[in-house]
Amino acid sequence: MAERPLSPRISIYRWHPTMIASLAHRASGLVLVLFVPLYLWLLRGMTGSSEQFEATSAWLHSGLGQLFLWVAGVSLVYHFVNGVRFLSIDTGWFESRSALRSSAFVVLGITAVAAVILAVIL
Amino acid sequence: MRTVKEPGAAHSGLSDWYWQRLSAVVLLLLLPLPFYLLTAVYSGNLDQQALLDIIDHIYSRVLHTLLILALIVHAYMGLKVILEDYVHRIFWRVPLIGAMLVIMTGFGVWWLALIWAWA
Repeated sequence: MAERPLSPRISIYRWHPTMIASLAHRASGLVLVLFVPLYLWLLRGMTGSSEQFEATSAWLHSGLGQLFLWVAGVSLVYHFVNGVRFLSIDTGWFESRSALRSSAFVVLGITAVAAVILAVIL
Repeated sequence: MRTVKEPGAAHSGLSDWYWQRLSAVVLLLLLPLPFYLLTAVYSGNLDQQALLDIIDHIYSRVLHTLLILALIVHAYMGLKVILEDYVHRIFWRVPLIGAMLVIMTGFGVWWLALIWAWA
């Protein structure tokens, strides 16, 4: 049997803002899943002895810790805002072609602003 | 001739879709809380005793439990859809989804034990 093109055919469709928003939702979701074991480890450290708490706090403030917090924070903001967008679409709001397009831009814009703010305050 | 009782003969499709949304709404309400705790500790506004006082509370434990259950449902549904879309060979797809379910359940049980063991 010949190789059939299977979903989601990323190489065939032209790139749209809505498609980027959808793919980024999956990518940020994947990042957040990978962040869960790290969060568990942090939680264990923060609820352990006071030495463990200090060590966890010190790691959070290290370069690697800040990078992890930034990546997780940006992913969370994006996944959160775009999740609200998806739920709105499910209820029938912003369902038109142009509304889908502009809401995708709004979500990407909010995430970009959040990424800059997080980079400054971390 | 077989008749279809209702549209969407594969009930599991609708069920997946529904659970994904339901868990999303739970996460929407609960997820900001632990993120706030993490940032409060990071910024130094919350020392260890204050943090322990908060998460020690029975409400914290119950909310954390609900959060974990919703998180596992949501992450499982989400990764399952990704695997179904990109892993085209059933030989790989089914064991991957199974392994994911086992790992997530293990993490969930560990996490719940951690939360309910806080003294």
